[in-house]
Amino acid sequence: MSGSTLASAEVAVARTFADSAHRTAIGAALLACACVLGLLESALPAVLPVPWLRLGLANLAVVAALALVGPRTAAFVSAGRVLLVGLASGTLAGPVTVIASAGAIASVGVMCLLASYGPRYSMVGWSAAGSAAHVVAQFAAAAVVLHSGALLVLAPASVLVALVLGAGIGLLARMIVSRLPSR
Amino acid sequence: MTRADRILIAAIAVAALLAWPLAAWAAGSDASSVEIAGPAGVSVLRLDADATVAVDGHLGTVRVRIEDGSVLVADSCCSNHVCVRTGPISSPGSVVACVPNGVTVSIGGSDRVGLDARIR
Repeated sequence: MSGSTLASAEVAVARTFADSAHRTAIGAALLACACVLGLLESALPAVLPVPWLRLGLANLAVVAALALVGPRTAAFVSAGRVLLVGLASGTLAGPVTVIASAGAIASVGVMCLLASYGPRYSMVGWSAAGSAAHVVAQFAAAAVVLHSGALLVLAPASVLVALVLGAGIGLLARMIVSRLPSR
Repeated sequence: MTRADRILIAAIAVAALLAWPLAAWAAGSDASSVEIAGPAGVSVLRLDADATVAVDGHLGTVRVRIEDGSVLVADSCCSNHVCVRTGPISSPGSVVACVPNGVTVSIGGSDRVGLDARIR
């Protein structure tokens, strides 16, 4: 191997490590943001008119992770958030985490699918559809966990609210991501 | 927002609007009874007879109170008390759930008694 080929190979390896470190740092920072937003939101119901309504603030970090780094980091942020918020709020082993996990998996799945289509869908579309999928999966999981379909009655109205809130979170995520300095 | 975003959001909204009457139909129009479902089973009570029921949940006791034609979760041992904060419900299809305890309280349970009897 000639000297110049060896040098370019070393540069490529160094760049790969730097990219990997960058992805890890962004993922960890966004996971921390998601946990803080999730815990903040769990303290919010007292000021909202509908006690079970959630704004989906933690999804802001997942959308940003998907836009900045990619689907694997977004899935890591989402799964880590469910785990750590469940641990911090003492609901990890209970039905709340089962329902939250179902919502998170559906939401990330739909958002990653839409992101794979490239620029056809924006962060607003990812977030709105992800929020709707989150709600549908949570109601389905709740029906299974509670052995009662009574809650499904609330699903259509909740999906409409989720679309509006999800689009809002998507707009906010786009604003934040566009203001971040490019690397 | 792209054109594809708008089409996707509109499609989901239309699907939810189409599902709405189905959900309303499933809820029924019976506002005379209340169904209380917990880990131990289901009971159906009359909404016009005031009563306080202690339901055994996963974490402890959930106290459900029926008074003046409405029902509410008066007390629960769960941590976030979303069920208690929901307040009284009285219209057909309305639901209060205490998820950590696995307890749901819904209006109009009498038309679902047969189905629950088969499942359980």
